[in-house]
Amino acid sequence: MPVYTFRIQRNQKNGQGVLESRYQEYTLELPETTTVLNALEELKADQDGTITFRQSCRSAICGSCAMKISGRTRLACKTHVETVARNGVIELAPMANQPVLKDLVVDIGPFFRKVHQIKPYLEEGPEKAASVDRTSYDQVNHVTQCIMCGCCYSDCTMKEVSDEFIGPAALAKAFRFVSDPREGQKTARLQELSEAGGVWSCTRCAMCIDSCPKDVKPMEAIVKLRTRGMEKGFVDGPGPRHALAFHQDIQKWGDLNEFTLLQRTVGILGSIAELGTAFHLLKRGKIPSPFPHQAKGVEQLRTIYQLLEKNPIDVETKAKEVVPE
Amino acid sequence: MSLEFAYYPGCAAKQVQKEADWAAQAVARELGITLHAMPQATCCGAVSLRESKPAFSLAVAARILSEAEAQGRHLATICNTCLQTLSHANYRFKNEPELLEKINGVITQAGVRAYKASINVYHLLWVITDQVDPALLRQKIKKPLNGMRVAPFYGCHNLRPAEILAAKGGEKADHLDRLIELLGGAPVAYSGHDKCCGFHVMLSDAREMRTMVANNCLNAKDAGAEVMISPCTLCDMAMGAYQKPAEDAVGKEIKLPEMNFAQLLGMAMGISPETLGISRLHVDPSAVLAARKVL
Repeated sequence: MPVYTFRIQRNQKNGQGVLESRYQEYTLELPETTTVLNALEELKADQDGTITFRQSCRSAICGSCAMKISGRTRLACKTHVETVARNGVIELAPMANQPVLKDLVVDIGPFFRKVHQIKPYLEEGPEKAASVDRTSYDQVNHVTQCIMCGCCYSDCTMKEVSDEFIGPAALAKAFRFVSDPREGQKTARLQELSEAGGVWSCTRCAMCIDSCPKDVKPMEAIVKLRTRGMEKGFVDGPGPRHALAFHQDIQKWGDLNEFTLLQRTVGILGSIAELGTAFHLLKRGKIPSPFPHQAKGVEQLRTIYQLLEKNPIDVETKAKEVVPE
Repeated sequence: MSLEFAYYPGCAAKQVQKEADWAAQAVARELGITLHAMPQATCCGAVSLRESKPAFSLAVAARILSEAEAQGRHLATICNTCLQTLSHANYRFKNEPELLEKINGVITQAGVRAYKASINVYHLLWVITDQVDPALLRQKIKKPLNGMRVAPFYGCHNLRPAEILAAKGGEKADHLDRLIELLGGAPVAYSGHDKCCGFHVMLSDAREMRTMVANNCLNAKDAGAEVMISPCTLCDMAMGAYQKPAEDAVGKEIKLPEMNFAQLLGMAMGISPETLGISRLHVDPSAVLAARKVL
């Protein structure tokens, strides 16, 4: 059986109550398909009873054992040691973007406060549908697999630099309510989600798609929330203004008119604020031409655009229908 | 084997990041890769068009992919966001025949040839690391990097979502590291190689974007990087041109030369700095290149 080295981040309070961080190494001989959680339990039982971590269901359903495993946040119970060993070494650390309490345990309070911020329950209101047909769940079902483990929140590149950002899991949950026919406040939700720290602060890095152990694809839900928000007229912000500039340019020029894109995204005042950056870019000739190259046959796109405006087609991805066993 | 591609440089490489296009064309010529122009190709719409006009964005992508298909060639790009956008559409076209049929129904009415979903979307970097004979590449290296410590910055849209990226993306992708080794450099391992450059929130979340740039660059520098390379014109813009604004935002000096992968590859091939547009870089790499005898 192969021997694995576990390099574990130990976080413990010193005499003054200040958290101190260090790495400690342990070795174990294990079959390749052992889960990281089983390995941790073996370490705790046989080598060091002080290693602290959370775990519960062992079946990738409770989300308790999420931790950084070799650089990415994963469920320890769902991860085989062989898939994450780098030259025989497996590095374990607590989830990021959350306060560490001890060793591999974090305070999940901030994460759940973001979930509460989006009001994770159906609300009464004027948009509540009287009947629910079976196709209406093709959007809801995308995100109901979420187990609130926080893997996406821990790996989120925007959360790393922003306290305000709601984060992928909570936004995916918000999409679930916006898509639910029984929800009475869909538009009000979209308005709130279009504000600072909401859907427009996502970098679109897709880290949450690859980190999610349940294939929820939070970023895809965020993209759909942006579309729905703009459709409801919540277009007053750099994010939506920037998004809306694209289809105008593509029809007119074929390419983006980067020269006027700035002004259209952040407005005149914003552009003046950006002037310092613009001068900095100008020093190396990095200011676009006001007349971008025009693609051949760009008029085809104008026709296509008008055809689609007249007869819209639904291209949204749909979740597979879940048939109860 | 002849390597011929329909070449899709993307908007940034035609405007503010011209040097990436110059470098790509120059290295491709040396490596026997023929990049054929796509005169009808428009902007791919990036992450934005998919949000504002989802069906139109797929039609725009289908029109671009169809032009390459009509040439009988796969498409190669040098922008990660174009790569992801076109790969995403292509993935859907290949897996959802009814969707392709609907989109073709619209574009053909405008006189666009129907797309048959027969081609693949590649990054030029993937072509160079996976399709060019490594022996040929080694033979073309006239000025090896002599152990230069190079931080690979992959960029999100070169890696994720792994599902759609022709099996080249994902967590285990190492193509940029392999290229650095081939050039005689030492790839630097650092936290940030697969993170976000912030380009797409540059205007909506300006402070956060600058913090991302600073964190990525400083992590690379702390890990010993002398220079950073990326395969993306947008990452180049963020990590290079916006490095000074990032320094101002976080109040720390960074001064890490950042360049497009094709520029460093071109330098190692002995192509002139003028051809590669080295003078257009915001953080001048000349001293680092000279110290390692690449310049």
